[in-house]
Amino acid sequence: MERTASIDLAAWRSRPAPLLRRHLSTTAFVCVLISCACLSALLASWLPLQVSVVTVFLFAGPHNWFELRYFLMRLPVRFGRSRNFFLTAFAGIGVLTLAYVALPVLYAFGFWPDNAWSTILASWNTLMLLWLGSLVWLRGKQRLRRDWSWAFPVALGLCSINWVAPEFFSLAIVYLHPLVALWFLDRHLRRTRPEWLRAYRRCLSLLPLLLAGMFWQLTRTPSLPDDNGLFWRITQHAGAQLLPGVSSHVLVAVHVFLEMLHYGVWLVALPLIAPLAKQATEALPAAARERGRIWDVKTVPVARHPRGFPKLVATALAFGVFLVAILWLGFSVDYATTRDIYFTVAIAHVLAEAPFLLRML
Amino acid sequence: MKKLFSLCILCLLLVTAVRANADVARPKASPETPRIVLHTRLTIVPDSKAYEGRLQISQSSLQELRAALANTPGNESMAQGIAHSSTRTILAGLFMFLSLSFAGVWLARSVQTRSQKMIAALLMGAAVIGAAAIIGHANAGPPGSYYWRKLPQNLSKGASTDGGIDIEIVPDSNEGRGMKLILPIKPQ
Repeated sequence: MERTASIDLAAWRSRPAPLLRRHLSTTAFVCVLISCACLSALLASWLPLQVSVVTVFLFAGPHNWFELRYFLMRLPVRFGRSRNFFLTAFAGIGVLTLAYVALPVLYAFGFWPDNAWSTILASWNTLMLLWLGSLVWLRGKQRLRRDWSWAFPVALGLCSINWVAPEFFSLAIVYLHPLVALWFLDRHLRRTRPEWLRAYRRCLSLLPLLLAGMFWQLTRTPSLPDDNGLFWRITQHAGAQLLPGVSSHVLVAVHVFLEMLHYGVWLVALPLIAPLAKQATEALPAAARERGRIWDVKTVPVARHPRGFPKLVATALAFGVFLVAILWLGFSVDYATTRDIYFTVAIAHVLAEAPFLLRML
Repeated sequence: MKKLFSLCILCLLLVTAVRANADVARPKASPETPRIVLHTRLTIVPDSKAYEGRLQISQSSLQELRAALANTPGNESMAQGIAHSSTRTILAGLFMFLSLSFAGVWLARSVQTRSQKMIAALLMGAAVIGAAAIIGHANAGPPGSYYWRKLPQNLSKGASTDGGIDIEIVPDSNEGRGMKLILPIKPQ
């Protein structure tokens, strides 16, 4: 049985590189990070609605496919001691996603009055928080000398805040979810490129500065025109209705900026780290280099293992490509409706990030 | 005999009571209580240079008023949402109680050496939160009439007056279709 902690990462670890070369690569990494962050902030502030439309169209589907592949890479062939953890994780993802998708459908059929919507939303948030608390606790049980029972008081405290203002709690998830990708990158760098980690964490301190700069520049700008259905949806998604005192220009710009960082991490940063690490070794055989291709199913441990599931993994990845194509087609035909459907169904990938991030802690 | 007398007296009382009730005029249909849709603040500012009265409403207040008129729960402010939903408040309190309880148990079980200090700190934190809540309630402020009591003097001095105000929606009446400002000023 392969341990998830060591899956495919041993091959990614680079040999100790010469000091100058290491310094240059770190400098280049920092330059790319800062340039991308500044460019994203600039674009999101300049044309928030347009950039939001374009980025979701181009990157929403592919980033989900890359996440699926990443999660498959991190999935052990046999659950072993983690059986309870993974069962809880998958059951929670399934139930919570189905409930989340069913909520607007049941609401449309008039299953509950308008004024009960907050209570329904708060109930779903409570279930999610209790599920997260259980996952943290189960993960803590696998770690020696770690007691993660604090997860329950924290989850219950968050439940309390959620019941005070469920709409704001859901809005907080919208803004915090993109930041989870940065945490994934942090954990991944720690294992594959530890020499970049310090620089990366210093770069993260730039994020509050960029956000403060965006607020400072845009807070007095007039709200964005939301006279058509699509622009109205985008401003509502960013919380314009809940925060009427804040210019919707700021809200949409900040949300688009965070989403761009999220897409950047999943589509560029995480897939690029492994090949860069491999180039640094230079001694890998051709066969091993071939293994690094993202479309090669054999790069996924669950498929490569003698007792693995290559056909299942191949089917899942191929179906993912099919869904991405369907999503692009839907965006081309009816962008607004497809966007609504996507952001409802996409809760599954938001939930799925939790257990796999916990596995890396 | 006594019993029969008492029964007769009781019957007489009942009959007179029914007759007395029949004499009561038919109650008038109680006027519909105006519905308060929003509580906000109002500042009355005398302006000697102005030729026309003006009612200025801030953009956010207007949006809140429109949301309140649309009667959409999602548009309530956080304070309104809490005030209007006792179920949510109860559940928030219940989860806070559970959170503090679980935290206390976890601290007591996990921290061996400094457990007493930690529990004391937790209890202090809970006490501070409780005290803050009590102070918050106690500091709710005087009634609205307190803020408006100096309006006549302020108007004569040309000074502004600021106080809370409820916005009510009333049906159209014969008195006109405009707006009426009712202020809680008591004659001195």
